[in-house]
Amino acid sequence: MDREEILKTLKSPANWGQKYSLWAVYFCTGCGVVEIPPVITSRWDAERFGVLPMATPRQGNLFLITGYVSVKTLGAIIRTYDQMPDPKYVVGFGSCPVNGGMYWDSYNTIKHLDKYLPVDGWIAGCMPRPEAIFVAVVHLWQMIDKGIATGYERYKENYEFYEANQRRVLPHLPKFGGAETNEGPNG
Amino acid sequence: MSEEEIKNVIERGVESAAVTVQRAGRLVVTVPKAGAVAALILLKARGFEHLAAICCTDWLEDGQLELVYHLWSYTDRIHVMLSTRLPRTDPQTVTAMPVFQHAQTYEREIHEMYGVHFQGNPRLTPFLLDHWQGPPPMRRDFDTRNYVKESFGVEERVP
Repeated sequence: MDREEILKTLKSPANWGQKYSLWAVYFCTGCGVVEIPPVITSRWDAERFGVLPMATPRQGNLFLITGYVSVKTLGAIIRTYDQMPDPKYVVGFGSCPVNGGMYWDSYNTIKHLDKYLPVDGWIAGCMPRPEAIFVAVVHLWQMIDKGIATGYERYKENYEFYEANQRRVLPHLPKFGGAETNEGPNG
Repeated sequence: MSEEEIKNVIERGVESAAVTVQRAGRLVVTVPKAGAVAALILLKARGFEHLAAICCTDWLEDGQLELVYHLWSYTDRIHVMLSTRLPRTDPQTVTAMPVFQHAQTYEREIHEMYGVHFQGNPRLTPFLLDHWQGPPPMRRDFDTRNYVKESFGVEERVP
């Protein structure tokens, strides 16, 4: 089989390769992460869907935001997202990243994740079942096939919008020239 | 020591302290803020070696903040709630660190969430919040919804 024949059966070999090699970044925000261990291990086995966890963001391309996002965590999320290579996909998991969920009037939790990062898909619910992650993954496959899972491109195109929102809540991030001087519990 | 003995010790040792025995193994001690550390020293010397928590309550109607030190004695199995009140405007008190060193963390959190200044605590630096600019968020007159609307840009829903 030569190269021309591959393109007869496969419209885009790159998309076909990408959609079956989703590496989910190990990043836990909030309570939604309790659903991740059964998803990636023997009970539901995400490897059937080509999803495996990755310990470092520089080798991952699927970012699951599992649960509420506090302001402090949003800084870490943005730093993680900026490190991930293209193409990268963000899925908001649970109702809290969608609109704040039960933390809708909390002083320390951001309400709409898509103001700060481009989100390719949402999983609503509190908590969503592990099956919902697989539904989301299958949706993401279809979006990759159609070429509409383009959050990383939207991020570059509308960077001024995202940057303004990020700067509004996190003016001290190193990428905005501020020093992260907040003292940690041991600092 | 029994509950009654502890009651006698505190009422004799700390000026204008009021002790009520709620039930077996549970005491509520109310002291003026100047006597709080004295009561802590007194209780620690009598076996109350575990400071489990320091709580803060905002009594907006009374214009006061209440600090509650939860103490537990392993030998007598008695829980003492040592309560003291501070004025809401410019609340200041003395740190409990010389008696219980781990009070530093509790005081640091109360300083951040309620704005209580603990004299003698060397590290009242930001703890859980990230570069917080507003007023102490756990005070009851802090308008959470307004703050959320302003800082996160949440739109009003038009029905």
